[in-house]
Amino acid sequence: MSITITNLRKVYGKAAAVDGLSLEIPGASVFGLLGPNGAGKTTTFKCMLDMARTTSGEILYDGKRLEPATFERIAYVPERSVLYDWMTVEEHVEMNRRAFKNFQAPRAFELLATFNIDRRKRARTLSKGMKTAVMVANAFARNAEILVLDEPTGGLDPINQRHVLSLMINEAAKGNSVVFSSHQIGQVERAAEHIAVMDRGRVVLQGLVDDLKADRKIVEGIFPDVRFTLDGIANDPHVARADRTERIVRLLVTSGADAIASRLTAAGAVGVRVLDLNLEDIFLYAVSPGTATADVVATESSS
Amino acid sequence: MPAVLTVDPRSGVPIYLQIIEQIKRSIALGVLQAGEQLPTVKQLAVDLTVNPNTVARAYRDLERDEVIATAPGRGSFVRADGATESPKVAAEIGGDALDVALREAKSVGLSRAEVRELFETALGRWYDDLEK
Repeated sequence: MSITITNLRKVYGKAAAVDGLSLEIPGASVFGLLGPNGAGKTTTFKCMLDMARTTSGEILYDGKRLEPATFERIAYVPERSVLYDWMTVEEHVEMNRRAFKNFQAPRAFELLATFNIDRRKRARTLSKGMKTAVMVANAFARNAEILVLDEPTGGLDPINQRHVLSLMINEAAKGNSVVFSSHQIGQVERAAEHIAVMDRGRVVLQGLVDDLKADRKIVEGIFPDVRFTLDGIANDPHVARADRTERIVRLLVTSGADAIASRLTAAGAVGVRVLDLNLEDIFLYAVSPGTATADVVATESSS
Repeated sequence: MPAVLTVDPRSGVPIYLQIIEQIKRSIALGVLQAGEQLPTVKQLAVDLTVNPNTVARAYRDLERDEVIATAPGRGSFVRADGATESPKVAAEIGGDALDVALREAKSVGLSRAEVRELFETALGRWYDDLEK
């Protein structure tokens, strides 16, 4: 099932937590939502589930608004624990069994065993990571078509983090949709096909992880003399950002890195290199204000 | 299928390209032989913990390059002419590596003659004198 979010806004008081967000989340895939704290990821998830009333905008599931029948097919793992302190793990499983008609209790217990969770323990006695694991186990036992997972590996050790990623991959392979957020960029990089980067309530970057990596490069060149001119290369539409220090210039290129590299060489740069970026680099460039292209042009004209 | 297939998601190289490169390398080295069956998209995705669509993309490109063939309902196989393709694939891998080295040499300002001299020295280190 695909999810289409158009122009979503959610205002709390005077502050817009989500400010004109549009996203296309395809079905049968894993979608990763990245963003610094306060970017609006959790609010977006809550709006998707009708747990927060949207101020404006639209969220459609296969072209339709969220209906009770669709809601039944969505499993949600919230960022903060929603477990009841006084209830045991198995009582939570029982509660889910009663609440959701496709819920498979044996599957939940199987997953809890994988995570090494003692089902007789009360939620109060569980660590943050164990609480996450309990919520994840219950969500993946729902037989849901859409899984919305807000930090589903929070507090988990690396082994259990990998279990969660494998569960997500399995769902996508079955044709279900997984949307998740994580601050662990390496996980998103591994499991997600599409990503969106949010910052201050907006999407600042989205695409296929593999395409972003193939297209976005750093082109670096060294000039023999501190007095050099970039011949307008920094204004090229494919140059998203330019950083210049003394004799070195580094350009963030959104596509066509080889052509930009040739232009840099033609402008007199030596040691021109095209450097790959991993998702962490791409993410940091997307959310850090840094030196805008315009600033560099100003530097260029003043030198 | 060799269990040696691994991906490094943290690399700047797209995962689907890493999968393509490794399957080609396995064929070039004879680890994967003509007619040999590849794991299903789902199986490889689960094994590597990467998105199934990413694996599917790698398989599509390998089909387009006529390295593998997919029979509906039966799975994907190294093409029958895969074995004869292996010298070509080996040449491709070697050529790509040389390209990287030459780009680097050029970027630091080495001349053609200097590169040739370095190449001859390196050649002597890795290949017997008798081998032409």
